[in-house]
Amino acid sequence: MSILHRKLRRDLRQRRSQFAAVIITIVLGIALFGATYDAYQNLTDSYHQLFVTLNTADMTIAGGQTDAIVQAAKGVSGVADVTTRTVADVPVQVNGDHKMLGRLVGIPSGSQPSIDKVDILSGVYPDASAPVLIEQHMAKHFDLKAGDTIQILGPSGWVTEKIAGVAASAEYLWPAQSRQQIIPSFDDFGIVFADESLLATIPSSAAHQEVLIAYKSDVGTAGLDRLLEDFATNNGASDATPLADLPSNAALSEDLSGFQEMSLMFPLLFLAAAGMATYVLLTRLVLSQRGQIGLLMASGFRKRTIFGHYLEFGLLAAIVGAVFGAPLGGLLGSVISKMYTGALSIPATVTTARLSTALIGVTFALVAGALSALAPAMRATRLIPAQAMRGLIPAGKGGATWIERFVPPLRRLPARWKAVLRGVGRNRNRTISTVVGVVLAVTLILTFWGMIDSIQVLLSRQFDLVNSQNAQVYLTGQATPEVVAQIAAESGVAHAEAVADLPASIQSATSQYHTELLGFQPDTKLHSFIVKGHDVPLPSSGVYLGTSLEKDLGVKVGDTVTIDVPDANIHTTQTVAGFVNEPLGTYAYISLPELTTLAGGTNVANTVYLTYAPGAQPETMRNELSALPVVGAFIDSNALQSMAEQFMGLFYAFVGVMLALGGLMAFALIYNTISANVAERASEVAMMRAGGISRHTISRLLTSENVLLTLIGVVPGLLFGYVFAYYGLSVYSSDLFKWDLYIRPTTYVFTVIAIVVAALLSQRPVLRAVQRLDVATVVRERSL
Amino acid sequence: MIDLTGVTRTYGDGPTAVHALKGVDLSVERGEFVVVLGPSGSGKTTMLNVIGGIEEVTSGRLVVDGVDITTMNEDERTEFRRSHVGFVFQFFNLIPTLTALENVQLMAELVGRNHDDSLTALDAVGLADRADHFPGMLSGGEQQRVAIARALVKQPPILLVDEPTGSLDLDTGRQVLTQLRAVSDRDDRTVLLVTHNAAIGGMGDRVIRLHSGEIASIEPNTRALRAEEVEW
Repeated sequence: MSILHRKLRRDLRQRRSQFAAVIITIVLGIALFGATYDAYQNLTDSYHQLFVTLNTADMTIAGGQTDAIVQAAKGVSGVADVTTRTVADVPVQVNGDHKMLGRLVGIPSGSQPSIDKVDILSGVYPDASAPVLIEQHMAKHFDLKAGDTIQILGPSGWVTEKIAGVAASAEYLWPAQSRQQIIPSFDDFGIVFADESLLATIPSSAAHQEVLIAYKSDVGTAGLDRLLEDFATNNGASDATPLADLPSNAALSEDLSGFQEMSLMFPLLFLAAAGMATYVLLTRLVLSQRGQIGLLMASGFRKRTIFGHYLEFGLLAAIVGAVFGAPLGGLLGSVISKMYTGALSIPATVTTARLSTALIGVTFALVAGALSALAPAMRATRLIPAQAMRGLIPAGKGGATWIERFVPPLRRLPARWKAVLRGVGRNRNRTISTVVGVVLAVTLILTFWGMIDSIQVLLSRQFDLVNSQNAQVYLTGQATPEVVAQIAAESGVAHAEAVADLPASIQSATSQYHTELLGFQPDTKLHSFIVKGHDVPLPSSGVYLGTSLEKDLGVKVGDTVTIDVPDANIHTTQTVAGFVNEPLGTYAYISLPELTTLAGGTNVANTVYLTYAPGAQPETMRNELSALPVVGAFIDSNALQSMAEQFMGLFYAFVGVMLALGGLMAFALIYNTISANVAERASEVAMMRAGGISRHTISRLLTSENVLLTLIGVVPGLLFGYVFAYYGLSVYSSDLFKWDLYIRPTTYVFTVIAIVVAALLSQRPVLRAVQRLDVATVVRERSL
Repeated sequence: MIDLTGVTRTYGDGPTAVHALKGVDLSVERGEFVVVLGPSGSGKTTMLNVIGGIEEVTSGRLVVDGVDITTMNEDERTEFRRSHVGFVFQFFNLIPTLTALENVQLMAELVGRNHDDSLTALDAVGLADRADHFPGMLSGGEQQRVAIARALVKQPPILLVDEPTGSLDLDTGRQVLTQLRAVSDRDDRTVLLVTHNAAIGGMGDRVIRLHSGEIASIEPNTRALRAEEVEW
């Protein structure tokens, strides 16, 4: 081992806590990259494997002239297979009296469908004696298994059917009811795969035909998607959904894109922080070793050797960080993949730890290590030996700070406090690196905290402000005034309203969007319409649209859109009266009287929204209302909210871990910059101590300077944190979820407090070193 | 003024222990200008540090300006340094963000001296016209003179000076030595100056030679040289 390597080893040992902080940051960065990138790859592979195995439809077309669409699709080059099936949303009863909405999805008698097969997890394929399979989420929620029974509401009342088994489906990996209701309550909605012969008994008003189309594996989907969507529109279909837009797939894709974005964002943030810490540390090291460097150069060491020596510090930290971070990332990637697929009951799980990911991570670390050490190493080679070995203060202008010029009374501060004030601008590089460190730390904390805040606030807005109903009941018939009155008269019901909830397609000049058209009473008490931040009533004419449609349909207020509602035989052109800001889903709203008029006077209200009287127990209300013969299915809004919060649980956990890691990194980063700041002052501190200034006073001065630097970094940090949080949420925003950034004022306050506390805590070891400073040693030997 | 009786200072213990001072007995009077000479490792800086209360003695008794500092703890020694001694080191350790005057004020405020006292101290070392200059704008000799003013502004009865010319050329070194001699002659302060530069010994009222932690000789100078007469 060369002497320089021995020096390297001992320098590292001497500054072990600071290098440990750098290495931990690198380990975190690489591990998080590996974990999120591998998780992204694993989940993508898991989904793909399932889609291939179960031959999931590349295009699903609902309604319209089914035969014509089938014929047209079969004639398209690139289409491998075309089949049809029946789908119906009908009330079902499970476990005796639990009424809910069931989606019956038709499957052929006796054999698997050629497209959208089901994976039978237990039991057998349905036959005439046991004609239904229960989707795994529903089966798990209600503890249903082969041999049990459910009841389905048919034209002549409830019919009991035997369960053949439990199945998973690629189409319903996540059992979302629609793109608008991406978060189902398992209490209220479930998927049932039923023999087509059973679906034949369902009234045509409740059922619709779907055409399933599978593409050949070697064709591009975009062109086919457009062509088939045109066929669908031309043949009166109510919806044409490519695989990517399937509600379940879209919801999971949101998570995937989140993983993908985070796999880039996290290593960038953490490695930038590690790079900054390394840069600060090495810059201080070079400064404190000026004399040694001068001596080495004067003794004949080549600049290249000196450069390599200091570059090695960065590379070594990167290598050690990568050695621990890369395997940890692979391990975490597998764990996250398993946890995620386990939490969502996704049957196929790929949990490979990829060598390529590890190699990318190692490369990231090495590049970050080399880049951060580059400037200090070059600085070392630029030292002039004779100057470096002398103890003079380098020539410079010096000067008062700008704040002293603008605030003249500051010029009368005692010299020690002037030293604090000017210490901030004393060394531009040090100030910038400390401030950048604080900015990064604040950014990390505010980004993640802001995301949590936003989601909590927006869920509260959705369930407490936008939707005011406690429950929604689907009826066995229409929501006539008599039925509404009957429900309103039930004990515990405070208010009930008839609402129309109808599938609809909305067409602008350029695009089409499939959603639900909701018809409310003009003076509804159960839904708030938030337009440009104000709660406004429904318009007497025209429609409100969800905000994302402004962009997706390319329309603005005052434009017209064409609305088709097949179930009510409505084809109408309506003016866009406003865009409603709602976190979950993208709906269209119209006043119920207007909708009734459009339907030719027919009552189209098919559901009743209601609120409970104070003290009413949700479970009792469910039981009592479900027992009414007019009630086909019951949806508990509280359960839906709980489900939404549970759905966000994974996200909270993920962001919470990131928040903790961000805090840890903030501590490491601030510790490094502050300790480097203080180490650089050793000789001044020793001089002050020798002059009789107490340790307490010196600690107070150093603390003031560090807090001042921290506070300077806080302001841009809050700004960057806001921008990053905005970006982070926008990754998850679509027509399914609209996560507007909302950060509580207290979050800003707590973030600042957290950072200042981190700064104060992280300087404690440094201040302890100041307390223990051996004045005699320092005044003898300047190079600490 | 300064009385050392059997003072020892030992670093470490066991076989690797270093005995920097071995039972030193010394007495220095008020207003004396004493030069301590010795090669590296002879214990001269250690002696300066124990007299100034920067380091503790291992054994013996040490009375400075009538105060027995042998038994003081760290906080008491800090108080002692504040009011009884001023230090000047080879490396000036000025705070680069403070002007020459402010560097002096830093210490002046410590003992309740005012702005005029700081200016007077700078004037005493011939730098009144450089009061608003920052250290980076001063030469090495000027920086060392600011350091002397900084030590003097507290008006300590004792000035402890460690290799004051070690970083300076001959001319600036002479300027600094002139100031130090003036401090002793004009203000009747005790100056204890340690150096390895034997030529400076000629400036002292007495020259103490240290060798391996022990006083090898104490010689009075019949005629102390003026700084400009010193050659090295």
